[in-house]
Amino acid sequence: MNVVVKIGLRNLLRQKRRSVLLGIAIAFGTAILIMAHGFAHGISDNLFNRIVVYVSGHVGVVFSENGNLFKQIFHDGQRVKEIVKKEIPDVVKIEEGIGIFCRAIGNGKSDNVVMIGIDLSQLGDEKTQQQDADNFKMTEGSFEDLSNESIENPVILAKEKAAYLNVKKGDIIRVRYRNVTGQDQAARLTVVGTFLPANMFMSAPVFLELTDLKRLLGYGPNDIGQLFITIKNPKKDAVLYAEKLQEALRPEPARIDGYISAGKGSVPVTVFGYKTDTLSVAALNNKLSATGKKAGKSECFIGDSLSSVLGIAPGSNVALSYRLKYADSIVSSQIKITSLTQKGVLPGNVILLNDEDFYKIFYSNWPAAVKDNPKWHRLSESDPLKEIVAAEWTLFPRAKSTEELAKLQKEIARKKIRGTSVDVRTMYESASSVLSLEYALHMITLVAVLVLFFIILIGVVNTLRMTVKERTREIGTVRAIGMQKSDVQLSFILETFFLTLFSSLAGTVAAFLAMKGLSMFKIDAEGNPIGMMLVNERLYFVPVFTSVVFFICLIMVIAVGTAFFPAKKAANLSAAEALRHFD
Amino acid sequence: MKKMYLLLFTITCAVNAVPKIDELLENIDKRYSMANDVKANVKITQQKTGQGAKKFEMIYYRRDATNSFLIVMTDPAVEKGNGYLRVDDNFWMYRRNTRTFQHINRDESIGGSDARGDDFESRKLMEMYSPAKDSSGKELIIEDTLGQIKVYKFEIKAKVNDVDYPKKIYWVRRDNNLILKEESYALSGTLMQTSYFLKYAEIKKAMVPVKQLFIDEFEKGNKSVLEISGISTEKLDNTIFTKAYLESLSK
Repeated sequence: MNVVVKIGLRNLLRQKRRSVLLGIAIAFGTAILIMAHGFAHGISDNLFNRIVVYVSGHVGVVFSENGNLFKQIFHDGQRVKEIVKKEIPDVVKIEEGIGIFCRAIGNGKSDNVVMIGIDLSQLGDEKTQQQDADNFKMTEGSFEDLSNESIENPVILAKEKAAYLNVKKGDIIRVRYRNVTGQDQAARLTVVGTFLPANMFMSAPVFLELTDLKRLLGYGPNDIGQLFITIKNPKKDAVLYAEKLQEALRPEPARIDGYISAGKGSVPVTVFGYKTDTLSVAALNNKLSATGKKAGKSECFIGDSLSSVLGIAPGSNVALSYRLKYADSIVSSQIKITSLTQKGVLPGNVILLNDEDFYKIFYSNWPAAVKDNPKWHRLSESDPLKEIVAAEWTLFPRAKSTEELAKLQKEIARKKIRGTSVDVRTMYESASSVLSLEYALHMITLVAVLVLFFIILIGVVNTLRMTVKERTREIGTVRAIGMQKSDVQLSFILETFFLTLFSSLAGTVAAFLAMKGLSMFKIDAEGNPIGMMLVNERLYFVPVFTSVVFFICLIMVIAVGTAFFPAKKAANLSAAEALRHFD
Repeated sequence: MKKMYLLLFTITCAVNAVPKIDELLENIDKRYSMANDVKANVKITQQKTGQGAKKFEMIYYRRDATNSFLIVMTDPAVEKGNGYLRVDDNFWMYRRNTRTFQHINRDESIGGSDARGDDFESRKLMEMYSPAKDSSGKELIIEDTLGQIKVYKFEIKAKVNDVDYPKKIYWVRRDNNLILKEESYALSGTLMQTSYFLKYAEIKKAMVPVKQLFIDEFEKGNKSVLEISGISTEKLDNTIFTKAYLESLSK
């Protein structure tokens, strides 16, 4: 065996020029393969960890109130965050994705910008922190000043944007925007720093601390915006976790357990909202027979027994007081009773309010959940009210594709859904265009590299055929002195094996040097989509060790496989015929 | 004699006393409300710093009885034939080129102008605003003059969330309660917009501001002039407030 290995190695050196040229070709192919993979993986890493995470999260929970897709607010925020933490054990970061377009005026210059909130309390793991640090390479001021409470609405923005608005650290930017209720608002932002944008998506916005942005936009202390969830293994787990969240976010019937005061006194009641879509109103009309008129979209029903206890009639205003979920206090709201139901239709401790008015009360002060108590009405499975009572929110079915998601959004806008709509999505639906781009780049890289290797392997086969032909008489000699067929074949295969091994190792070294070199060049891609592939204005390569080893092994297997047949042909030559061979 | 003086003083005070803001709001709502259908031509001339003047023209149909309105763009050419239809809670935007309707929000821009869907609604001031009061609980209203015209100047604050501005100051004529000037403020107290009501027309006993000037106080140099002409209060055909009508205009 040692002799055959030596012969294989020695043969490499016999035709040095040929071996070197073929080795260079293989090394070049290997280097291109590793670089192309490193680049594609870099784009993938960039898209997944620096863009998708900020654009949609690996998994997202999106809210829209009253069918308005821009009113992304949910009023029982803690509850959703707790559900996310429970259902996704390896969550890296839960961020609220809140951003708003606004008109910004700097020093004599104005521009449209997006205000985006950064949650500084969500540090994530070390990798995420490093990515955050890479994303905000400060050129002036300090990132930490974003949380400086002594500064009025501190913000940081890209260096170019600051130059366009003619502002620098310490200057004021005035912004006009519409808050979460649709009111025109204005605010003063203080520039505390500028940074070099890591990618094109970072150039346009101004960033401020999430709590500052939520305050400016009119979010309450328990309100949250859409949630972007970063997980450890998004490609594997994103869909699985989204399905789990979907199941855990199923809403309960919405109810307010409180006391109603009017006329004769105060009694415990449960207030339910009734759905006002056409089908639900029709169902309500079947079940309830209101005195005087049929159920419409703006009614408030009270049973005759409750009416007589309180001594109230349609048209009366009553005060509903109830305990809050997030504060140890009681609030009071006014409700106008519009209709009485006939005897026995509504339980004696129930008020049925149209969903528009109900949600206004319910969402403005989320009621505390009262444990089972006969004073307040509970809906059993067979309760006739169950199908018409509004839920805490509307959970939409999971969209399986981008097209389904687009349809879903149209449906939310078209149906003018009362209350909050909730949908759970993954990056595969919400950032599919980004992911498609990543897939396309992978495919282009793969095809280009395969074509290159095909050409190189033709060279390998051709070289081996020449070698076999040149060494025919030598083969005859070694076969005549007793060398076995298998050893002859092995010597040729080993020659190719060593050539490929050394060449691919050299190619790997060359690839790493080239990647290092290329990533040192700064590329100005401002305004160009190619900027999406860059990190800190530089090409971004992420070679993976296991992939590099796999590629080297693959190249060697292909090369050895290619050498197998010419080597077999050489081994099968008869010694006598080989000795007689003459070129 | 003292009693006589006291009586005279009381009568004088009563005559000169400023009215309650709610009364003024109610009067304004009454003066502006139109029970009939309305059709009018609307022209918006918008001037923005560094962009020159842009002109937008549209035909506006309104029917308060069904909470409906229709806007058909006639100028600029790129917007011609596009429309906006509001029926009760539904608000659609129609694109002539693609002949498609799309649900939009009421705060969406109309034809690329600064006007928004909710500017064309006919909501009453009384429903949206209540009198602003000082720390002693006194309503913020005074007698003032605007140029040579005697006016009441008063401040109101939003009582619902879905309004453009949470605080407004009005200057209304003392004699007929027509609005002459309006200042709109953000929650932060920043003056965002000043509106001047330059010309009114009386249509079936209702007063219609046919020329208004809006000055953007946030971004100095921006202003818009809104002009309304060709007002008709004839009953409009029911088919006008339908999608089919908008589509038929494209044929």
